[in-house]
Amino acid sequence: MAHQVAKTKVSLGPGFWLVTAGILIASAIMSYFVYASGWPIGLPQIAEPAPEIDSLFKFLGAVGGTIFNIVTGYIIYFAIVFRRKKSDPPDAIGVQVHDNPVLEFWWTVIPTVLVVILAIFSTVIWSSLQNTAGDVLTMEAIGHQYYFSFRYPKLANPVNNEMHVPVNVPVTLHVTSAEPGEPPVDHGFWVPEVRLKADMVPGLINTLRFTPTQIGGPYRIICTEFCGALHGTMRATFYIDSQKDFDKWFAKQGGTGGAASGGAAGASSGIALAGGTAAAGATLFAAKCSACHATDAFSDKKVGPGLGKIFADPGHPKLVDSSAPTPDDAALIMKKGFTGDIGQMPDATTNQISDGDIANLVAYLVSLSKK
Amino acid sequence: MAVATPTTTPIPRPVLDHIHPEPTGFIRKYIFSIDHKIIAYQYFITAGLFFVIAGLLAEMIRIDLLKHTGVLTPNVYNQVYSVHGSMMVWLVIIPFVSGAFGNFVMPLQIGARDVAFPWLNLAAFWMFPPAGLILLASFAFGAPDAGWTEYPPISLQAPFGTSMWCIAIFLIGISSTLTGINFLVTIFKMRAPGMTFTRMPLFVWASAATAGLNMVATTALAAALLALFLERQFGVPFYNPTKGGSPILWQHMFWFYSHPAVYIMILPAFGIISEVLPTFSRKPIFGYKMIAFSSVAIALLGFMVWAHHMFTSGMAPWLQLPFMIITMLIAIPTGIKIFSWMATLWGGSIEFSPACLFALGFLITFTLGGVTGFFLAAVPADLHEHGTYFVVGHIHYVLYGGSVFGIYAGLYYWWPKMTGRMMNERLGQWHAWVTFVAFNCTFLPMHWLGLLGMPRRVAMYDVEFEFWNQVVSICSFFLAASTLMIMGNMLWSFKNGKKAGPNPWGARTLEWMISSPPPYYNFKKVPAVLAAPYDFGNPLPYIGLDAEPGAVEATPQSTTGLVHAH
Repeated sequence: MAHQVAKTKVSLGPGFWLVTAGILIASAIMSYFVYASGWPIGLPQIAEPAPEIDSLFKFLGAVGGTIFNIVTGYIIYFAIVFRRKKSDPPDAIGVQVHDNPVLEFWWTVIPTVLVVILAIFSTVIWSSLQNTAGDVLTMEAIGHQYYFSFRYPKLANPVNNEMHVPVNVPVTLHVTSAEPGEPPVDHGFWVPEVRLKADMVPGLINTLRFTPTQIGGPYRIICTEFCGALHGTMRATFYIDSQKDFDKWFAKQGGTGGAASGGAAGASSGIALAGGTAAAGATLFAAKCSACHATDAFSDKKVGPGLGKIFADPGHPKLVDSSAPTPDDAALIMKKGFTGDIGQMPDATTNQISDGDIANLVAYLVSLSKK
Repeated sequence: MAVATPTTTPIPRPVLDHIHPEPTGFIRKYIFSIDHKIIAYQYFITAGLFFVIAGLLAEMIRIDLLKHTGVLTPNVYNQVYSVHGSMMVWLVIIPFVSGAFGNFVMPLQIGARDVAFPWLNLAAFWMFPPAGLILLASFAFGAPDAGWTEYPPISLQAPFGTSMWCIAIFLIGISSTLTGINFLVTIFKMRAPGMTFTRMPLFVWASAATAGLNMVATTALAAALLALFLERQFGVPFYNPTKGGSPILWQHMFWFYSHPAVYIMILPAFGIISEVLPTFSRKPIFGYKMIAFSSVAIALLGFMVWAHHMFTSGMAPWLQLPFMIITMLIAIPTGIKIFSWMATLWGGSIEFSPACLFALGFLITFTLGGVTGFFLAAVPADLHEHGTYFVVGHIHYVLYGGSVFGIYAGLYYWWPKMTGRMMNERLGQWHAWVTFVAFNCTFLPMHWLGLLGMPRRVAMYDVEFEFWNQVVSICSFFLAASTLMIMGNMLWSFKNGKKAGPNPWGARTLEWMISSPPPYYNFKKVPAVLAAPYDFGNPLPYIGLDAEPGAVEATPQSTTGLVHAH
């Protein structure tokens, strides 16, 4: 092989281990910095999942930064050490290695282990987001072109562009978009300081759960799905109040009692529900209601929401102005109709259902919720 | 130092002496040619033109964002960024990597005289310029304004331009599908004798994986586009929730194509890097088989991750987990590629040609894009990042720092083969450095803008982000200017570039064994492939061109002078 002018040295390269040590030390310092500072986000953590999500960010930052340092560090090092020098013969070739099974084994196995660790870590944080706490404030946020409105239990009217929540009370926030009559467009709900986001999709209800932990505000609520020409201006303000301040604000909006504490509905349907039978209700439901309502979860919306679990689902959004819908609330809606953010429903006269029919339908819905 | 033992079995070769005469008329020769090289040049020129237009649109975006109140009217701004994204994806990167590089390089690298279906190739190309013109003409009718993803229901309410967008992208989709079928058949059926799968250059492996993706994934996009068009023009309710449609349906169908499309855009760039690095380090590619198989693994896994674009859209929460985990798995084959390329550099004799510099830049920027990809794959982190400038930063790291850097590397690498002339080496090196620095200054700050609360697709933004947006904008002007350097270099090369000769880089793959630019019909005699593609230390030549294989094996040095550079 006389024509080969291969570099004969098979050492790793001058100072290889020094460079390796340098890369690792730099990565350790960087990881320390990631954990000691607010990096990579550096925004206040004002609600419960924020610290958990930030711990994932820090882990990803440290691991990802280390991988980046290793790749970049060795590339720069190899490029310098193994560059073609002026003194090299013009037909110089490199070391003719084709592969190295041991090396390839390890650089497959180590990333796989890292991926598994990251997947487990992410899944643990993910499952903490799914927790449904007991005593919750269930409310709705609705996106419009170009503002947000918020509905609270026991508040007759929505509050525009301002969202207040009491500190330390778990919030279940249902988000959707567009009231009847508005052009249906997507919006997004994001409070960077809470680290959570959900798309507001017309006809669909998405749910965010968080527990405010720090009194403060105003924070920005930001629209994160393109919703039209002025998408960039779509903001609302977000406050976390003490329970006292929240009650004061809530009273000013016309609310009575604590929004988060549930309670009896204000109005009554005046219908005697005791005589209703579920079997008759099922037939009526198929004939009168099934065109608009499914018998699945609330979020399975046809024209109106799914009604299969309305008395059983604690995260059920506002049915009437109560966080815990009762059979009488349902009867009231069937009697008087409904106009609100999640749609419109005609009253009993338009729907041609009698009080007796309502009693049967309610019995049917109750039987569904017990399943 | 492995040296392959010369095989003793002669490789049977078909005798294909009959050559159709080259067409002589201008139209048949340059406009409606069926020669894969001419079609490739047509793709290069057209996609290059759209690259300039889409780049100017990008600068309009950055001009708007110089002020937090916006400079353009929001309606214009929304059209500009939507057409910028659509154009860069469908009219620049996809035609560049498959139509242009695939068409020019792949048949040469497998020793074929053309692709399997030349007329299909011609048809596929001629859907591309009309698609671009339709998309540009949409500005006259109210261009699409809901981003390159055109999510309904808002895209249902947009003016007629969005329907034109549907038609344009549909045409590009047909073009991609035809090219995919064509390339796959070509690679499977038309390799030169002796070119086993493990002797295929890695660009060919990447082209095969890309062609498979193009064939399968594009159908979902076609169906989605057809439905959007029917709903917009004739009111057939597919997506409008108030008529019983589902906006989420579009997202599923769109991303079922558009996630694999990311790999359609990046796999050929991987292939280019796998050609450039061995040539300029004078080494066999490290871990050939792992690089080849990882392309296929990425293509397969790429089909199972689409809903990671939809973690906030509204899906059953448990469904987020499989999509998250499969997305993370893609990091493994991608990591194998990166590590193999690093090991290819080790112990090499590295020449910093412009192509090599872009390949090195690619390794760094693409790795960063991969790391931020991991941030986006993890569901809880994505809930913060989704829909923000973090995503904009990430996508530009993989599509600009990945695909476009790959395209630049490929352009510098194959330019002498395409034109027969060399580019200016020094100017090319400056181009690489300026692009690398300006690129990072433009797109790195976007990650923090996103994490701190700046959403994407906004014509105006909160005032505290103004400083960094101005930094980004100013750097983007330098990035745009750097493009002039390669355009100037091309002109310089036509005028002053010295003749390249068949193999200016001393590479070993088949395209370098014939004159530059390649003659009509590429190979007078079908070559026989004798060895692996990147064996710089192997005294056995990669191919025998004119000699019978037996003769080549007996006296390795006696073949024509074209065959082997050390």
